[in-house]
Amino acid sequence: MPRPEINWITFSIDGREVKAPENAMLVDAAKYGDVEIPVFCYEPKLGQPVGACRMCLVEIEGIPKLQTGCSTPVKDGMVVHTQTERVHDAQRAVVEFLLINHPLDCPVCDKGGECPLQDITYGWGPGTSRYIEPKRHFVKPLELSPLIAIDRERCILCYRCVRFSQEISEDYQLILNERGAHSFVATFDGHPYVAPFTGNIVELCPVGALISRSYRFRARPWDIEGAGTVCTLCPSQCNVDLTVRDDRVLRVSARDNDEVDDGWLCDKGRFAFQHIHVDERITEPLMRQDGKLVPVDWDTALTAAAQALGEAGPRAAAIADGETTNEEAFLLQRLFRERLDCGNLSARPGGDLPLPLARGLADPALQATVPDLEFAHAVLLLDCDPIDDAPIFDLRLRKGVRRRDMNLVVASARPTALDANATTVLRHAPGTAEALLVALDAALSDDRGNLGGAASAAGSSAQAVQDLLEDLTSAGGDIVILYSERLFGGPRGPQAAEALLNVANRLNLTGEGAGLLEIPIGANGRGVREAGFAATHGPGFAPVANPGLATHGIAEALAEGQLSTLYLLHTDPLRHMSDGELWERALSSAQTVIAHESLMTETVATHADIVFPGEAYAEKEGTLVHPDGRVQRLRRAIGHPTPFNRHPGSGVRAGWQVISDLAKLLGLDFGVFAGSMASQQLFAAVPFFNGLTLDEIGGRGVRWPAREAARLAFGETSREPVALDVPPAAAVPSEDALRVGTFRPLWSSKEVDVSPILQYARPTQVVELSPVDAERFGVADGDKVEVGVNGTQVQGAAKLRHAVPEGTVFVAEGLSDASSSLFNYGTVQLRRLGGSAEESPINPIIGMPAIGESPFNPPRHELRESPPGTAPRMNE
Amino acid sequence: MPYNPGDDVVLVQRGPSPGGAGGAYRAFGETLRGLKQTFQRLTEGTKTIQYPEEKVPVYPRFRGRHKLHRFEDTGLEKCVGCSLCAAACPVDCIRVVADENTPENRVSAGERYAAVYEINMSRCIFCGYCEIACPFDAITLGHDYELSDYNRSDLIFTKEMLMAEPLDRTPLRTAGE
Amino acid sequence: MSTLLFYDEIDKPGLASLSTYHDIGGYSMLRKALDMEPQAIIEQLLASNVRGRGGAGFAMGRKASFLPKGDMDKYLVCNADESEPGTFKDRELMQKNPHLLIEGMAIASYAIGASRAYIFIRGEYMHQADVLDAAIAEAREAGFLGDRVMGSDYSLELWVHRGAGAYICGEETALLDALEGKRGNPRLKPPFPAIEGLYQGPTLINNVETLMNVPHILRMGGEKFAEIGTSGSTGTKVVCVSGCVRRPGNYEVELGTPTRDIIYGLAGGPPEGRKIKCWFPGGSSAPVLPGTDEYMDLPFDFESIAEAGSMLGSAAIIIVDDSVPIVDVALKTAKFYRHESCGKCTPCREGTNWTVKMLERIENGQATPMDLDIMASVCDQILGNCLCVLGDAMAMPISSMIKHFREEFEEHIEMARERNGLGAAIPVMNRDERGPDRSAEYSAVGH
Repeated sequence: MPRPEINWITFSIDGREVKAPENAMLVDAAKYGDVEIPVFCYEPKLGQPVGACRMCLVEIEGIPKLQTGCSTPVKDGMVVHTQTERVHDAQRAVVEFLLINHPLDCPVCDKGGECPLQDITYGWGPGTSRYIEPKRHFVKPLELSPLIAIDRERCILCYRCVRFSQEISEDYQLILNERGAHSFVATFDGHPYVAPFTGNIVELCPVGALISRSYRFRARPWDIEGAGTVCTLCPSQCNVDLTVRDDRVLRVSARDNDEVDDGWLCDKGRFAFQHIHVDERITEPLMRQDGKLVPVDWDTALTAAAQALGEAGPRAAAIADGETTNEEAFLLQRLFRERLDCGNLSARPGGDLPLPLARGLADPALQATVPDLEFAHAVLLLDCDPIDDAPIFDLRLRKGVRRRDMNLVVASARPTALDANATTVLRHAPGTAEALLVALDAALSDDRGNLGGAASAAGSSAQAVQDLLEDLTSAGGDIVILYSERLFGGPRGPQAAEALLNVANRLNLTGEGAGLLEIPIGANGRGVREAGFAATHGPGFAPVANPGLATHGIAEALAEGQLSTLYLLHTDPLRHMSDGELWERALSSAQTVIAHESLMTETVATHADIVFPGEAYAEKEGTLVHPDGRVQRLRRAIGHPTPFNRHPGSGVRAGWQVISDLAKLLGLDFGVFAGSMASQQLFAAVPFFNGLTLDEIGGRGVRWPAREAARLAFGETSREPVALDVPPAAAVPSEDALRVGTFRPLWSSKEVDVSPILQYARPTQVVELSPVDAERFGVADGDKVEVGVNGTQVQGAAKLRHAVPEGTVFVAEGLSDASSSLFNYGTVQLRRLGGSAEESPINPIIGMPAIGESPFNPPRHELRESPPGTAPRMNE
Repeated sequence: MPYNPGDDVVLVQRGPSPGGAGGAYRAFGETLRGLKQTFQRLTEGTKTIQYPEEKVPVYPRFRGRHKLHRFEDTGLEKCVGCSLCAAACPVDCIRVVADENTPENRVSAGERYAAVYEINMSRCIFCGYCEIACPFDAITLGHDYELSDYNRSDLIFTKEMLMAEPLDRTPLRTAGE
Repeated sequence: MSTLLFYDEIDKPGLASLSTYHDIGGYSMLRKALDMEPQAIIEQLLASNVRGRGGAGFAMGRKASFLPKGDMDKYLVCNADESEPGTFKDRELMQKNPHLLIEGMAIASYAIGASRAYIFIRGEYMHQADVLDAAIAEAREAGFLGDRVMGSDYSLELWVHRGAGAYICGEETALLDALEGKRGNPRLKPPFPAIEGLYQGPTLINNVETLMNVPHILRMGGEKFAEIGTSGSTGTKVVCVSGCVRRPGNYEVELGTPTRDIIYGLAGGPPEGRKIKCWFPGGSSAPVLPGTDEYMDLPFDFESIAEAGSMLGSAAIIIVDDSVPIVDVALKTAKFYRHESCGKCTPCREGTNWTVKMLERIENGQATPMDLDIMASVCDQILGNCLCVLGDAMAMPISSMIKHFREEFEEHIEMARERNGLGAAIPVMNRDERGPDRSAEYSAVGH
């Protein structure tokens, strides 16, 4: 459904004429006249108002009863009073009622000082209470989940958390139990509330009933300062506000930006901030001496690195990923191209696309925005699961389906979390998204021959593809295709890109509200590429004279000794590249591996020769590019960590500074003395960033594809559909071999691995298979199984999912152990090893731990009393 | 050219110039007048208080060194680490870091307690706002004003120091005084 | 009392079976209706001016005419969740004459263009639900329900849905939520169910008795029906009389019959030697009226009772005689509503709870007369500020009891305090000497 038009009307509030958008709820409309109507249960982000708290009662002329301002749409000529005696009486009454059972333990409560109940009681309450009877008592606090503690005595039953669970994240776990004055919030079955977005209820709670266990008792509002920045833990790049006390990040909250995150955060973004202050942080330069990494000073490390790079020259290579900023990528590629005459740069684990295709996909006309996911007529989810790849998009799609009648069409190999919301679901064989695109292209161009061939190559049927196309196009022309960069992984990446561009052109996705939206693999994958960190092109997709090797090529060349020095910028190839085995050899045979990394991962510990301590995102400054082209700013919230008792500057240094110092030692002076100077150079070098300033980007970011100058600077790309050939058919499962597909769970990241509170979510290897296959192999849910081919084996717990197609297994990749990045698409053998593994894994996305188990490590504070799930005691 | 103050100059009325009998009288007369006072007081005895051997007693509501209190019956700390004192402090000299009580380690009566409670006495202006802000009467200002030390860092009073019974160094003014 | 619509043949043996019902002319009105235009039936309902019998007394014809016309999924829901204390009319009607309800529902569904209808019956009415199930099966077998009703183009499916024992599900929007399989919580109005009700479709919700009137209206014609009763309250009403009377039970009367005739005539008045202290005209949620002559002479219809400061509600008259302490009545009433409050909106959830606690203190002798003022003020704060009417349903009778029987409350407080040895809150003096009410001047002491 396209965006609704806003019609401005005039109404009167407290005797003043105010202009407001028609049909806005009175509470919101009143703000246009600087009138505040107090609310508890109303939260526009949660959708339809429920009118439960009765705090927002106002008097409207012509209506005898007081009306709830949160649910009354404003109409032209309406006359509203919020300051009459009747309204005040009602407001005082509601506050008095709410405080009847509220413990008023504000000094102990973490919400104290930033609590809407406190504020409203001061502002609108009666001042005293006439209630002298005993209050309601619950056992408290209880752990609602490993992340959240619940204090039911403080709860004012505003329904916000329940509504979030029911209507936003749609995990349907939170409910209200009992009724009347005995009501309390609980999970449906008493299990811990484990889901990908649970942390949001802490922020929604208008009292201190839901408190994040990582922030509990850590600071009061007057002890802290806020620092707005951007989360770099996944490509969603949510806008966050860091709570800082004594130069430590204590909490991450959402910094509402409708264009990016809609005000929600995932639990990874909200709680993995703990990685900033852990023992695993690398805080000083290290060098390998006698096989061990030992601390050295910066001069030594930089000189050694400069020497290694200088000696290597064109035989050097660099890969970047993760939280690499545009500036770091830009400076490093300058160093490599200008000084080392070397183009072996890659930020794409799947290999770089040829320049025309990379440029074609970045064409500003073809870019969809994040809100387009919500307002489009239809969205095609192409072989990715946002919950794993960019979780905030998942919520946006749910909102589109629930509130805007958007048609969600899912075509994926692995069952997605959004299947239930989709109009059509098409399951294709793993790794055949390209064939599906070819089939779609054929269906759009009425090429019957190709359609049948390609559809069957994708393990689907021509009819299914046509049905999908019908649902995609029937609602209207605003179509968004949401796909993952993984589509271009593997040798046929360029062909897949061709096919995607063909489909986009045939669907004519160039208009407003339509387009392509790519989820990159790296958090700033798009920005790194646009800054020129790619084998095939320079900054701003400028052609380069001598293209270098891409990821796979770098690994092979390293393994064969053709390259000598490797610079790893915030990346762990062993974990995140397909073909882990090749990378193992590559890293072992590289002469010098320079790792620029913030956490001591296994790869760094085993393979790095020179280690530069990297910044965590809270310490960084620079810019990022959101998947939809929004240039966003990272701002420094805390200082760089320094080893204990060492002088400032001996610890972590800014990324741009390290690269620039390195370049200086190699005889290239960037002339960059501050982070902003690096940004300026970047904006000048990339044609479509020309004219951007950090001020303009500000806190909300600027979408470059929306800037006229940038569109002109980008120029035209070819829009002619090209002839496509049918890709080879997918592997066929046989009696003893199953098709294998991989996925990268949301929680598989080094930040989660080291965050104490997220240990419960740390993914372990799961082998997802259909119950039919499970029966054939004699495997029960939770059994330990092994999948493998040609001597490469991965072990994990079997997970039976009905939605997994027969003859297919899915294994997780990117895990710290038992990673399946060893497989390319094909078939594998499956073998049952034994009964349930000792510790049953919880996959927070699809599964929950059984009652009574404690699936998470005890946190710093063991919460007292009842285990999760026991009914609270009522004691009146 | 010298500065000409012009009309803005106000002439100060001065007394007669010294010298002569008038001058002598002024010199001695005034001195004697002062000495008269001295001799009058001479018989009254010494009023100087020989600090630190002797000390001025303070009024009961004198605001001196802070003290953190415990419940007399349970021995638990009254302070729950709510940080309201830190919020009220106009010179920002109080730092509180809270932590959670556990059944094994119960420090205060509520859910939380102050794991760190520090007052920087070199900054404190003894305004007593912390005492007013405290919802649990956990902190009061006592009578001790002898807080000098040799090292600034020693003037940061920790919770243990504030909890400890202060030295009874300052006499309290009694009703008759 | 000349006209009886429901009770003339209600005790006919076997009326619950289709054959007997058919013999006395049952389902002939459905036949007639199917030959009429749906709009014409609504016209008849409008002309009859029949008001809802469930409690709110909203004109049925007008409610039906609010439903949007056109081709969409519309629903008819019969509210048989009769949980109001003192009300037991639908139970008898459904048990003894289920086919009249089915016929009425079929006609109403046809009139509004609904092809699916539900009877949401109170969970405790197991026998009645079984009777209805059997009757529906019979009616479906005979072609009065199901595909192509009585050979016409019209199809209707009718289901009985049993509730799970929540008073709140008698509230129409909570009923819809419960019917949809959710927790039975009232919804925000607007949108009203007539526009967006069950499964977001336009829905007409009516009480059992209201729907049973429909065949009679068609038989008699709207205008003719309107001649029964008074001009504002047409038709007959089944009145449930309970409490301290000699002959409690259901009585069908024409609206506008003098109250005295019902209480003293039909129900036989209070037991020997007792006087009526007060009475609820319309179930426990209606404000009480004193048993004085002034109120006994009221015509029993919607307008007169409303004018007297109460409401006709479901026409369940509960008689309280002078042997019953008013505090007991208040406490029992308030406890019921506290137990049944759904907890969604603040004033009802907390207000009912608070009121009960205060009444308990009065009962235990720990209260002072000031608590009466607080209680009256709490009831006042609930009134009109809630999401649905459940909060009002407690606040109205309690505040009316305080209004009419303040002296008795005060006396009760004194006596209870005496019992508890807490001493008098008011200096004890001869009641006649006490002069004007000065309770507001005393502050709460003794806690």
